[in-house]
Amino acid sequence: MTTPISLKEVVKQFGDKRVLQGANLEISAGSVVGLLGTNGSGKTTLLKCAVGLLRPQSGESKIFGEDAWNLSAEVKSKLGYVPQVISLYPWMIVRDLIRYTASFYVNWNDELVGRLVSEWAMPEKDRVGNLSVGQLQKLAILTALGHEPQLLILDEPAASLDPLARRQFLQLIIDLAEPGKRTVLFSTHITSDLERVADHVAILKAGKIVHFGLLEDLKEQTHLNLEDAFVEMHGG
Amino acid sequence: MLVRIESSSGVPITRQIADQIRAGCASGSLRPGDRLPSVRELARQITVNQNTVLRVYERLTAEGLLERRHGDGTYVSDDLPGGQLKQQRAALRDDLRRLVERAHVLGYEPDQLHHLLDRTIAESEAQSSAALEKRS
Repeated sequence: MTTPISLKEVVKQFGDKRVLQGANLEISAGSVVGLLGTNGSGKTTLLKCAVGLLRPQSGESKIFGEDAWNLSAEVKSKLGYVPQVISLYPWMIVRDLIRYTASFYVNWNDELVGRLVSEWAMPEKDRVGNLSVGQLQKLAILTALGHEPQLLILDEPAASLDPLARRQFLQLIIDLAEPGKRTVLFSTHITSDLERVADHVAILKAGKIVHFGLLEDLKEQTHLNLEDAFVEMHGG
Repeated sequence: MLVRIESSSGVPITRQIADQIRAGCASGSLRPGDRLPSVRELARQITVNQNTVLRVYERLTAEGLLERRHGDGTYVSDDLPGGQLKQQRAALRDDLRRLVERAHVLGYEPDQLHHLLDRTIAESEAQSSAALEKRS
């Protein structure tokens, strides 16, 4: 199986502001990677470069061996992405938006989506524009999961969820991330979520990945919990 | 099986789970031949990544504490690693030595001590067979 995500020396700048300064990250199939970084460290930019929504000035970004900027329909069908800022058609009814999204995919798991709609108490008949931030995030996660992507990229997925939905969401990610099968990359500020759900941790600092490895190795080395290790790495 | 995880601790989650399974085996709450929850079940139950649970099962299997039966799940090993049994036997010998020393202080000769031990064994056997008869 080809590597789900491979970033090599990725540089991305906006105007004269260099956000990514040669970021490297290679994620193997089946791992669940939590991406940590301070505000403005470039997490969203990194994820967007990885998923092919931004084009790096230099370096290489590949998904399943293909250039992220030029993905084939086949690789796109293996990919799920939930952005931090969610924009879905506000005039659509929730149920119709789900159906509309499903129509783009050959494989769509109605059963899974149906189950999540009821577990997460999604108001199916409401307009998307009337949803709360948390509900909108749930909807975006739902529609990113329906085609059961092999690679799931989530930007701050749990940020707007209430504690119950967050626990349900974490459990879902744990369920979905079967060893050796589905790969998940998500950014977060909530280190305790990361510690449970992820098996690998990547730390982004000043536009570079300064640490990538097994979560337990980091703990064995530092004898610190993730939050303290993270603060220490930033000279806090 | 009840496993508790402290995610904000400096102890890796793999070690937390492994230690609790080991403790379960040592205390007898997990017995040889007991079936453990599947990787997915335990991961779900304690909200921890499946890879993490899988690594714990693999490690404890390598140590000989667990046994993975192909397509049938994970069990506590029928013959627990010799280490634990050896430890318990060593502890018994220590107890015996202390008893012998006490007997010596009380003036028992080795022959008398042997005789006392034989009598105690006979009494203990008589007691357990009486208990068996009572039950049947």
